[in-house]
Order: sequence, then C-alpha cells, then structure tokens
Amino acid sequence: MNHLGRILIVEDDPRDVELTLTALEEYNLANEVVVVRDGQEALDYLHCRGQFAARPAENPAVVLLDLKLPKINGLEVLQQIRSDERMKMIPVVVLTSSHEEKDMMTSYRLGVNAYVVKPVDFHEFVNAVKELGIFWAIINQPPPGSAKRSP
Amino acid sequence: MAVLLCTVSFDYFFLEPLYSLEVSAEDIPYFLVFIAWAAIVAFFARFRRRIEDDLRQTRDHLQVQLEERKRREDDVRRLNEELGKRAAALEASNKELESFAYSVSHDLRAPLRHAAGYAELLQKHASASLDEKARRYMQTIIESSKRMGDLIDDLLAFSRIGRAEAKMGPVDLNQLVREVVAQASREASGRDIVWKIGALPICFGDRSMLKQILVNLISNAVKFTRMRTRAEIEIGCVNAKPDEAEVFVKDNGAGFDMQYADKLFGVFQRLHRTEEFEGTGIGLATVQRIIHRHGGQVRAEGAVDRGATVSFSLPKMIDEPAKTARVA
Repeated sequence: MNHLGRILIVEDDPRDVELTLTALEEYNLANEVVVVRDGQEALDYLHCRGQFAARPAENPAVVLLDLKLPKINGLEVLQQIRSDERMKMIPVVVLTSSHEEKDMMTSYRLGVNAYVVKPVDFHEFVNAVKELGIFWAIINQPPPGSAKRSP
Repeated sequence: MAVLLCTVSFDYFFLEPLYSLEVSAEDIPYFLVFIAWAAIVAFFARFRRRIEDDLRQTRDHLQVQLEERKRREDDVRRLNEELGKRAAALEASNKELESFAYSVSHDLRAPLRHAAGYAELLQKHASASLDEKARRYMQTIIESSKRMGDLIDDLLAFSRIGRAEAKMGPVDLNQLVREVVAQASREASGRDIVWKIGALPICFGDRSMLKQILVNLISNAVKFTRMRTRAEIEIGCVNAKPDEAEVFVKDNGAGFDMQYADKLFGVFQRLHRTEEFEGTGIGLATVQRIIHRHGGQVRAEGAVDRGATVSFSLPKMIDEPAKTARVA
C-alpha cells in the first residue's frame, strides 16, 4: 500500500485517537498515519521543527483536525496553515464533536476542505473515518509536495 | 405709602402753606378730591397686592411642579440605568447559555461516543465468550448511549431555535407540505396511508422553521398511526380570521387523553412508553416554540385510540406584494 497518502491526525483525546486508528486499521488505512496531540505539536510537525525537525519535508495528504485542542486550538491551527504559503494547499478536514454552526461557519471561512461531526454511533463513526481515509488518502490527488507516492 | 404720597402732592399743588389751622369752606372740594385720589390709589395698591399674591402663588406652584418634574426625571434616569443593567445581565446570561450549549455539544458528546465505541469494540472482541445475559447488558449500554446522543442532539436543536435568527418571508405551505409528505411517505413505504391534503395559505414566517413544524407533526402522525391497517392523515386549513391561518394535522392513530393535553408541549414530556412509540419527546415542544416565535398559538385535541389533531395559527400573507417589498 505504498500509494497511501499520509494522514495527520490532530487529536488530544487518547480514546478518540484509538477509536479513529481502530477504524482506519479495519480498512488497512493506518500505516501512513501520524498522530499529534495538540495544536502546537501539529504546527511543529507541519513546519518540520522541534521533535519533527528530522522528518522528510513533505506535507501530509490530509490533516484530520479536532477543534478543541490544548495550547493552540484547531481553528488557530487552520488559520496558520491557510496563511502559510508553503502549507496553504494542504487539504484539511475538521473532525469534531461540535455541532455548532459558529464553528462550522468559521472553519469554512478559514478555508477548510470538509467539516465532519463525529457521530455518536460507533458504526457511523467507523464509517465516517473509513470514508474520509479512503477519499483523502487514496482517491484524492493531493497538491504537489504531499507525502503520497503514485501507485 | 400711597396715601402719604397723595397727601404730599395734594399739599404741594392745592394747599396754601399751612400758616393757620383754619379750614375755609373753599377748601372742602379740594379735600373731597384728595379723598377720592386717596381712595383710587388705595384701590390700585390693593389690586396690585392681589396680583403680586397671585404671581407668588403661581411661582410657588411652578416651583413645586419643577421639583416634581425633576424627581420624575431622576426616576426615569434611575429606571433607565436599571434597565441597562438588566439588559447587560441578560446578555451575560445569554452568553453563558450559549457557552453552556457549546460545552454540552462538544464535551458531553465525546465521553458518550467513547462509551458507545468501546462497548461496540468489547462486544466485537468478547461476544463469543459472553453468555446471553452479558450480551444483553452490552446491548443495553450501546442502546442507552445512542439514546443519550439523540437526547443531546434534540436538546441542542431545541435551544438553537430560541437563539437562531429568523429569516422571515412569504412561505407557501402547499409546497412545503408536499415536500414533507413526499419524504414521510418514502420513509413509511409498505404502509397503507391515505393522505388528505387541503388547500393551504401562503404564510409569513421562516421557511426552515415552518418546515421543521410540518416535519415534526407529520412524522408524529405517521408514527402514531403505525398500528392502523389503514392510516388516515389529513392536513388542512381553517380560515378563521382574515389575517391568520389555522393549519391542522389530523390522524386516526393512538390519540391521547385530553387531561394530559397541557403536558404534550413540554420538553421531553411523553404520553407513551418508549417501547410503544420511540422518540425523545421534544417534537411538539419544538413546534410550540417555533409557533410562539411567529406570534401564533398551538393546541392539540384528541381521545385515546381515536386519533389526534394538532392545530397551529400563523400570520397570513394578506397584502402579498406590499409585505414582500417590506421584507426585501
């Protein structure tokens, strides 16, 4: 599966991380996944700095971004991604518990590619994560400079 | 004073210097003239004093009025300040409510999702080694978390109606009912439902909110007629008043006891057990809230096992072009 795009998951809740990874594993989508636990780490990863200074300078094929995060929240991360020349083309999907219209409006205004509310029902959740994984890591052609090799 | 002045002037103009105290007969007319003058002057003096009194009284009166007015102005200012404080407090509590709704939306759903998710995972991994009872417990955990998720979603949607801005305009209820009925009959395919749809007016309101009303009422009608081999659902309008339309949704379903009619519109109030008819009990509360926001009334009539009718009133579009222009 070397044509999988790399998925960056920004999620502070370990249970949500585990459930998301379980859903991705079920469909063999988990081998190109990077998990960071707050907004600061997400930006460090994207900028290849701090603990990620040594990583190859490719952008992920998609960022799955939670909104409520410690230190720097998801909307700020999104804003920084969109205002950085090198990163602004990275597809970003907000994956959140928030049903609030305000969050959705702000996310779209900041240029998010998709807004997904995590379903309470586990089957629906697994399904949503699977669909996201398949679409962004396999079907979608990410912009140049992304960590996805052609099949 | 006046008398003295007159005396002096009289002395000066008319009298001989008073060498003697003799009063001659010639002086009598002068004396009479003098008395007359004195009387006139005294009269004017009294008149003037009365005017002065009147003026003083009026001035005092004005003073009192002025004070009264000042007091009232102070009152108004105080009330205004109080009103401002109340408005600020209300705004603060609204903000609080909003952040409360936000945290319900975000923070309460996460652990719920985890409970449901891990229970599912447990069921998947361990169900082979579980006995019948344990599997039922597991199923209950999963169903309960799903139900709580539904309750939270409904409560949030309900609170959103109060906060969302209404986009008012003309709404054709005929078209709206057609859409909703089409959806409802698709979902109830396989059931025998007779739809009777009368002519409906064009109302003045928020389209998506009015659609929500019809979705709730019509899906209720479909739900509560489930046990009928042939369900009858009627949607129509009574033109009771020239500026108001009364729309009703009538079914021949389970109905309800009229003594609980006032409970129908309460949040999470249900008149049926969950195993009889599913639902969270927020549908009619939502209907009532939307109708009240539109300045209308809602009521329900029914009898146990003899169906229910829910009617609501809405402002009609009377002067269509004029009102549309004003809205635009």
